[in-house]
Formats: sequence, C-alpha cells, structure tokens
Amino acid sequence: MKKRAVQVRLAASILLVLAACLPAGCRRRSDSSASERMVIRVPMFSKIQTLDCGNLTDVYSIGVASQIYESLYEYHYLKRPVELVPLLAEDMPDISEDHLTYTIRIRKGIFYHDDPCFPDGKGREVKAADFVFALKRIANVKYMSQRWTDWNGRIVGLDGFREYTKSFRRESDVDYSVEVEGLRALDDYTLRLKLTKPWPQLIWYLASAVTAPVPREAVDYYGKDIMYHPVGTGPFRLKVWERGFYIELVRNENWHGGTYPTEGEPSDWENGYLEDAGKPLPFADAIVYRIIEEFQPAWLMFLRGDLDIMQIFKDNFAQAVNPDTLTATPAMAERDIRLLVFDDPSVFWIGFNMQDPVLGPNKPLRMAVSRAVDRQAAIRLFFNGVHKVAHGYLPPGLEEYDPNIVHTDYAKYDPAEARALLQEAQRIHGGSIPPLTIAIPGTSNLDRQIGQFLQKYLADVGLQLRVDYMDWPTYLDGLNKGKLQIFFSGASPSIPDSLDMLMGFCSWNWGYGGNHFFYSNPEFDALYRQAEPMFPGPERTRLCRQMERIMLEDCPAVFLNHRVAIAIIHGWYKNAKPHEFSYNTAKYRRIDLEKRNRYKELLNELKKKSK
Amino acid sequence: MPGLTRESNLNNSSLQPGTEEHIPPGRSLWADGIRRLRKQRLAVVCFWIIVFYLALAAFEWIAEARKWESPAFIRWNEIVGPSYQKPMVPYEWTTADGKTEIRREWMGTDFMGRSTFRRTLYGAKTSITVALCASLISLAIGVPLGAAAGYFRGWLDELIIWLISTLSTIPYLLLLMAFAVVLRDKTVFGLELRGITSVYLAMGLTSWVGICRLIRGEFIKRKESEYVLAARATGCSNARIIFSHLLPNVFHIIIIDLSLRFVHFIHAEVILSFLGLGETDKPSWGAMIDAARAELARDVWWEMTAATIAIFLLSLALNLFGDALRDCLDPKLRVD
Amino acid sequence: MTVYIIRRLLYTVPIVVGVLLLTFFLFSVVGGDISQQIAGKNADAETIAEIRHEYGFDKPLFWSLDSQFIDHFRKALTFNFGRALDREKISDKILRGVGPSLSLTVPMFLGTLVLSISLALMVAFVRGSWLDVAAVVLCVAGMSIPYLSFIIYGQYIFAYKLGMFPIMYMPEESLLTSLALPVLIGIAAGLGGNLRFYRTIVLDEMRSDYVRTAFAKGLSTAKVLFKHVLKNALIPIITSVVLSIPYLFLGSLLLERFFGIPGLGSLMIEAIASRDFFIINAMTFIFSLLIVVFTLLTDICYAWADPRIKLE
Repeated sequence: MKKRAVQVRLAASILLVLAACLPAGCRRRSDSSASERMVIRVPMFSKIQTLDCGNLTDVYSIGVASQIYESLYEYHYLKRPVELVPLLAEDMPDISEDHLTYTIRIRKGIFYHDDPCFPDGKGREVKAADFVFALKRIANVKYMSQRWTDWNGRIVGLDGFREYTKSFRRESDVDYSVEVEGLRALDDYTLRLKLTKPWPQLIWYLASAVTAPVPREAVDYYGKDIMYHPVGTGPFRLKVWERGFYIELVRNENWHGGTYPTEGEPSDWENGYLEDAGKPLPFADAIVYRIIEEFQPAWLMFLRGDLDIMQIFKDNFAQAVNPDTLTATPAMAERDIRLLVFDDPSVFWIGFNMQDPVLGPNKPLRMAVSRAVDRQAAIRLFFNGVHKVAHGYLPPGLEEYDPNIVHTDYAKYDPAEARALLQEAQRIHGGSIPPLTIAIPGTSNLDRQIGQFLQKYLADVGLQLRVDYMDWPTYLDGLNKGKLQIFFSGASPSIPDSLDMLMGFCSWNWGYGGNHFFYSNPEFDALYRQAEPMFPGPERTRLCRQMERIMLEDCPAVFLNHRVAIAIIHGWYKNAKPHEFSYNTAKYRRIDLEKRNRYKELLNELKKKSK
Repeated sequence: MPGLTRESNLNNSSLQPGTEEHIPPGRSLWADGIRRLRKQRLAVVCFWIIVFYLALAAFEWIAEARKWESPAFIRWNEIVGPSYQKPMVPYEWTTADGKTEIRREWMGTDFMGRSTFRRTLYGAKTSITVALCASLISLAIGVPLGAAAGYFRGWLDELIIWLISTLSTIPYLLLLMAFAVVLRDKTVFGLELRGITSVYLAMGLTSWVGICRLIRGEFIKRKESEYVLAARATGCSNARIIFSHLLPNVFHIIIIDLSLRFVHFIHAEVILSFLGLGETDKPSWGAMIDAARAELARDVWWEMTAATIAIFLLSLALNLFGDALRDCLDPKLRVD
Repeated sequence: MTVYIIRRLLYTVPIVVGVLLLTFFLFSVVGGDISQQIAGKNADAETIAEIRHEYGFDKPLFWSLDSQFIDHFRKALTFNFGRALDREKISDKILRGVGPSLSLTVPMFLGTLVLSISLALMVAFVRGSWLDVAAVVLCVAGMSIPYLSFIIYGQYIFAYKLGMFPIMYMPEESLLTSLALPVLIGIAAGLGGNLRFYRTIVLDEMRSDYVRTAFAKGLSTAKVLFKHVLKNALIPIITSVVLSIPYLFLGSLLLERFFGIPGLGSLMIEAIASRDFFIINAMTFIFSLLIVVFTLLTDICYAWADPRIKLE
C-alpha cells in the first residue's frame, strides 16, 4: 500500500509541474481593443516569413515591413495613375543624359528607430552609405537574398561584388568596404548609382521596402535573427511578434513626420479620402495583425467588430455582397459595413511547356485546350463571378493594358471548335492524344476543385487530363527545370510596369529566369530588346501591346482571369483608399473611435429589431 | 487447430461403445464461435452492414474498371443540378439533351452540381480500398515478423523487438504523417505514389507493430503447447509447424485485430485528407469532410453530414462486430 | 536497484539509435533535398546552390566523415536542430509551442480522466443491465464518429450558430473562455474510448477474489467500489496516465488548427504544409525521447514497488 502511495504522489507531482508550465505560454495581454487608443486591427491569411527588408518576398511580409521601413521614394497615396514622390530622398533622382547615372540627394535628419543595436540605444541618423550597404547585402551571395534577381546585371560592378563574396564562408565574413563602382555614397547625403544599361524601372524598385536603408549595426548585432528585429525609419516600429499568430506595431515617436496629401483624384472628395488633408501622420497609435489562416473565423471576428477590415472569399460572398451591383448587402449596410471594389492587377493561367514533345509542336492542341475551358463558369464557381475574364495577358490597372483586347477571341469558350481543333491536333500528332498532365501547386480544397473543374471541361471535348497536386517545392522545381507538361500559375506585377510581366516570355529567361513556358519567339525577343531602354510613353505602350499579341497568337498558355479584389471595411475605418502597388499605407488610416465604440450597441439594437 | 485436437479426442472417445449419446457433437473453434455470434442479434446486424459496404465498394470498383455507365448511382462525376443545390428541394434542370425537368436530389449537390449521394457511395470504395490495402500491408509485415520472432527467438527476436520498440516509441500520428508526407509524389521501384497509394502505404508501413506483437506473444505461448511438441516429435519441419499448426491457430486473432484496425484506417484517411495528403481526384469521405470545413460557412451542411454518417455507420458496425467476434472466438481475450 | 536502472537505461540506447536511423532514412534518404523550398520562387540557381551548401544537402549521405548521416546524429544528440525553412531556430519554435499545447491538453486530459473514471464506476454499479449495454454501445458510437466531424460540428454549432464561445483562440481574452470550447470538444470526442477502457479495468477488478470476499462480508456495492476496487484499479490507471504525459506535450493537431491555438500541433501542421522536414524530424526525435523517458520512469517505479520485476 505504501509503495502505491508513492506512485500516486509521483503522478500528482508531474501533473503539478505541468500545470505550472501553463501560465508561461498564455499570459493575458493588455486589451488591444481598449477604446481610447487608436488601434488598427487587420487580419492576415498567411504567416509572415521575415521582417528583414533585404529578403522580403511575399506580400504579407512586405505589407508589415513597409510600415516599419522607408525607402527613397513612395507612391502618392491618392493620385491615379500611380505616381512616385520622394520619401527619404530630397527630390526625384538626377538622371544623366545617357540614362545610366542616377544621383540622389538624401534628406537630412532622418533617424532610425531606437534599438539596442546602437551604442546608447538611440537610433542614429541615416547616411547614404546605409543605402549602399543595403544593396551590397542583397548582392552578397552568402546572404542568399531572394531579391537578387531584380538586380542581376543591372549595376556596374555589383555582379563582380557578388562573385567576390563567393570566396567567403559566412555572410558575416564578407568585407563590405570593397568599392563597387556603380554604387557609391559620394558624401553622407548623396548616393550615386551607375547602371550597365538603361533601366527605366529602377525608380520603382527604389520605392520598395526591399531597398530601405539598413544600419550596419543591426546586422552585426542581430546576425541571422535580424529577421525578427527590423530596424527602420518608418512611422511604426515592431513591438510584439508572436510568430504565426500576432504582430503588433506601435507608433515610432521619433518619426521624421509627414502630412496627409492635399490633392488627389476628383472622386476622392466625394469618398471622403481628403477629409484629413494636411493633417500630421500617422493617425493610429498601433497596428495589430492577427494571423488567421482559416477564413471563416476571421469573417466572424469581423462581423463582431474585432477586425476593421476583411477580405471577401468564396464562401462569405453571398452574405456580404449583392452580386449584381457589387455593393454591400442590406444586412451589411445596416451595420455600416462597406465594400471597396477594385482591379487588383493580376492574371492567372494554365501554362504549356513548349518543349513538351506533345504540346510544343501542336498549336491546334493548345488552342483546343483554350477553347475547351469556360472561363466564365470558372469565375462563377470559384470567384463568385466577380473576376474578369483574361482575354490577354497584361492585366487591367497597368498603363499598357489594351482595352480593345476584350474584342478578340483568345478567351472564347467553344467546345465545338475545340473538338474540331482536336481533330487537327490528332492529325499532327499522328494518332490520338495521350492523357495530358497538369500540375497544380497545393492540395487544398479549392485546388482540388479547380483540378476537377479542368478535368471535367477537357473531358467534354475528348481530352483526358491527369492532375498532379504538388507541394510547392516539387512544383517550383518542376517549373524551373521544365519538367511539368501543363501547369496552373499566375502573376501579379510588383511594380506598375508591363515589361516586368512580359519578361516571362523572353527566350533568355527560360527556367529560373521566369519563362516557365520555355517559350521562344525571335520576333518577341527583338521587340522586347527594343522596348527595354524606353521610359513609359505611347511608343513603349504600343510595343508592349504588340508583344502581347505575338505571344497570344502562339498560345503558350490559356489565360483565365484577372482578379477583382473586394475589401470589406467597417464604417469607422477611414482613408482606406486601396492602392494596387503601395504598401506603406497604414500611416494614412484613421479609426473613428466614437463610431467603433458604439458598434456593440448597434449590434444589440439590430438584434432587438429583428426580434 | 484446437478444434481439430478436440475433435480427435472426441473421436477417440466415441470409439467406446455406449457413450455416444451423452457426448454433444464436436464443433471447431470457428463453428462454435459463429454459433455464439449468431445469437447476438446486434452482431448479426453489424455483419450485414459491413457486407453491404464491402459489396458496394466491390461494385463501384468493378463498375469503374469496366467503365459501366448504369445504374445511375455510379456516375459520381455527372453534373445533376446547380452548384450547392439543397437536399430534397425540387429544382428545374435542363439535361444535356435539352429536356427540362423538375428534379430532387435527396442529399444535395456539391460545388459543381454533382450528386452528394453518388459521391458518398463512391467514397465507400476509396475508404475501403485504403483500409483494405493498409491492412494487407500491415499483416504482410506484422504476421511473418511476429511469427519468426516468437518461434525462433534468439537474435532474430531481439532484432524484431528492437524494431517494434523503435516504431512504437514514435507517436503514431507523427509517424504516419512523416511517412505520408515523405512518400508523396515519390517513385519507388517504378511505382508512382500518387493519391491514395501513398496513403495506404504510409498506414500499412506504420501500423504493423500491434499485430506483430500479438502474434509473437501467441507464438511464444503456443510454441511449448502439447500439439506443437507432438508435431515436433513426429519430425515435422519448422516451416510445417509454423504454417500448418501455429498460424491456423492464431488466425482468429488476426481477424479480430483486422476488424478493429479497419476502423482506425478509415479514420486516419480522414485526417490525412484534411492535411492535404489524401485522395485528390476521386471522392473520398475524408475529402468531403475537408471540403465541408469552408462550405459550412455558406450553410452547406449536407456533404459533411453524408460523409460523417457513412463513416459512422461503418465504424460502428466494425467496432461492435469486432468486439462480438472477439468475445465469441477467443474467450480469453474477452474483457467483459 | 541501481543495476536495474543502469540496465534499463542501456536498453534505451538502441531504441534512440533506432529512431534516429528511421528518421534519417525517411527524411534524408527518401525525403531528400528541399533546397528549392527554402529558396522560394524568386531564387536563381546560384542562390539555390548556396542554400544546398548551407543546409548540407550537397554532402554525401554516408561514407564520409562529413556526411549527412553523421550530421543527423550530431544534431539530434546535441539538441541543436538548426533552423527551420523560414530560418527561425527550431528549438525556439518548439519551446514556444509547449505552453499553449499544454494549456489545451492538460485540462482536456484531466477532464476526460475524471469524467470517464467516475462514469466507469457508475456503470459498474449497473453492470450487466441494459443500462450497461447502452453505455457500451454509446461509447462505441462516440468512437465511431470521425474526430474531424466532432470538431467541425462543435465549432459550427456552439461558436458560429449559438455564439456561446469565441470562434478562435484569442490571446487578449482570458484563457478560460478562449480554450473552453476546444477542451470540451476534446473531452466529448475522447470520452467514448476512455470510458470503455476504464470500465474494463474496473470490471476486471470486480471479478477478482478480494471483491468477492468483500461482497461476501456483506459490504455495500458503493463501499466495495470506492474502498477496494478504485484503490486497486489505481495502478493501471496511473500507468496509463504517466504514459500519456508525453502526448500531452504534443498537443492536439486538429483542435489547435481549427481554433488557431499556437501550439505544437499547429507547428506540426505547418511543417507538413510547407514540407519542412527539419521540424518534423526534430519533433519526431524529441517526442520519441520523451516517450522513452516516461516509459523508463514508469518501469523504474514499478521495479521500486515490486522487487520481483528486477529479477526478470
């Protein structure tokens, strides 16, 4: 009996220890919805990977990092078409005659966030050398930045620097003091860039958080962990980051300041986007990002007023949106919930591998696939009929988008013609077409539904389709090495420039360069070379549209749809004008606290009324 | 077989004249067990439910292999109505040949307008294929290893015990997922592991430990029993003893274990589907439940409910039947 | 005693080695090179080569002093699992997940334990009657519903439709309200199996001689149950409790995912979704080790309680 008691005690003490561990993981946080602080609460549907500016790739990471970092230029918040204005730069760059040398003056009196990496914990002033350092760091092969492809072969001497870094063992061993001819700080406030060839798009890249200045101190102090310790100059700084769940940014009290723009589009007055004109920024005291990977809980949190903004997804659409007018349903309007509908430049497609022995030499076969897919039906089923049919490749929202393309029949759904084309294809192939295989990245329910949809429509015209639901790395590897026969993919331009999109069809960009179609057309290549050095203008637009048509004729892909984004916001969320390319917009947002605090009462009233 | 030995005893005794009428006719273990089983009405009902599911799966399998087009319920891929049509609500539908008619789909339709009922029926094939293949793999590994370990002992036993303890040290779900995620999209010995192949392979490769342990234990126990000693004395080879004396005697253990294990496999398929590691092209109960996660938001409850009921009935039948079988065939294992 | 402990300890060595061999085989030999995953979409071939080098994918698998095989053992035995695909330290990730996981699983486990043992005792009162049969059938019915259905229906009905609980784990709300629903769902889903298990244990005890003696003495059923049966049934119960502790740390894969609880179950799902073999590998090893340790503890306790075991 006694020994048994010992066992009982042992078990009890183990459980006690366990119980003691509990509070450590789940302390109660101060209530972020406290009514007097202006806190913006935003849902995020994916984890963010890193807050290290030199390696930002996914939109979620960029979305958070852009509030913390600032770069030389930024997008004007209200003006459309988009326009750049100086941010950390004194003025727009001084560009030489030959378009190769950029001289940029940097504003004085810009300070980094206070951070322990600085000698006395006080943020120091930003110097031109910090910009040089940031770019050299991206070039450092040991840093393994995913952004190097943007800069590859662009700046005089930077590729040499990359070669040089290969001789080191670790990132931190690399000596950054080596001069790069095309990337120099002439003095503390002057930066000079020299390009290998004209690169009109450079300016857009200088408006991205990726090229924000980085203090050397932070890199040395944090090493690899700099991804959790962003040190920037922006209006907000990182306070809490519980990876995968919660991010809180708070106002940077040492911010150099800024004011709300005073001019914009004519409609901005009506929409109330100019009510705060001239007022000092930022408005919010803090921004809270809740990472919620399932849509449904996020939607319910939004309805309860725990989030200020939300996305429309496939399954809450009917509840929130009147499909005919794309406005909020009465139930939403009652709660003063509003919709923001805008073109989100993007395009999705089914790509063909042009090197595939079956598809490559058989244009009628590719055309048959194109005619067999009912894009309208796909948009109805998967995107609630909101997205636009992609008649071509370049998405609306880009200057070079051709409005006339809707009159072409590249996106026609015609099963009869598809069957006829298939006959022709079989003749070329010399026999019946073997089953085709499409690779879809992901195994989620939506991915499977898309796969089944395509199978169904191709089967209708007599084509067998096998669907490979791949995980992301297998898919990427297959894409880059040309191992996939057909693939489901999409793109949205990160800068407002069509050449960046068209690059994916140049023959020198096969595989890792982004041409996953392994498409090659000398005529297309020549036009691209011609347009490459041009600054935006009618001639360039003409060339881009011409390239698009040439490519569409060859049918290397079935273009499906352009996304139309619908954001849904509470009435108290002010200055929420959507911007297709700019991310550093949190500083403009304002919360009508009084309205927000009344929301609970409003809900109660509505409940009573419905009874 | 114990039945056999018992029978031979009875035969011996029946040789004595005048005692025949007092001795009940001999019954083998199986006959005896089945007689007892028949008396349990619940078990009989469960048995027929299981038979129904198996027959359904077999029918779907044959229909698919032979590319049959009728009866209608095997055409799971056919679009029979609008997207997300509610169950039992009549709707107007124009068929491919242009006729318009009023229809009613009693379990509703899915996102593309395909019949939930037909897809649920087809799901039986997927789930049972997975469970059956996984069971066969785990038996094919577990039984020989357990038999060898229990019969030969020595270093072989040590080695197999080591394998067993290693595998059972890793939390099962972790192990299963690790196998499933690693095996996906791999080609092993020319066999492409797509969809459910990798699912049942992962299940089979990770779940043989239990049966292996059971068989080993039984073999150790029975190795020294009289009938084995007798067989050895008459000069039977090891192989003969294992295959014709020991294995038949533990067969009922295999069957009992199998019926209970089946349930685990069916439930594991659901979890793997949720993790995106399951069947992709064809309907499966796991995939249907996974789909329902998002669809409940638009009050599409029928897909989820249909799949849940399908799983529930089969699992319940298997569980109850497995318990009854155990009680009837092996009273020693009996727990209550 | 010391000899026994040492022998028992030595016995764990081949098991740990076995786990390491298995994980190596799975993740390095079959799983292979995942540098593309780390590199992401925009990386060029050069960067990928660099990443392969950093993570050691370019090393030979075996037959070298600097092989992946040696690395695998070194990493595990020094508990230095390096960084995950998103370049966060794996040890940080795991340590962060333990708290939330335990705050879900411990109340769930204790709730199930208390509830199922008390129900088991109640069922023992009415053993053999139709109530007992009904209870068993109900248990089996509970076990037959897929776990995922329990969660989805539970969340849908009690959180979405009735609004009785928060839909998700909310760090800013109290732990009690945040975790109540997942804990209740967990208890409901686990009750069937547990009740059946404890009922068997209790009924086993009821059949033993001392119980018969106790009844013969004229003790009431309640007295027999609580005084004798419960006391003796404690040994198997405690054994199962101690052996379940490692699983508590593991958290609940599905519940955590559905309720957004930042525990180890979520971590595991994430790792599977992103094919992060480093995390899966580390988790597999650490939990196997935990199980080894707790098995060892129970065995030693037993040896302590029952000297006969040492002779085995």
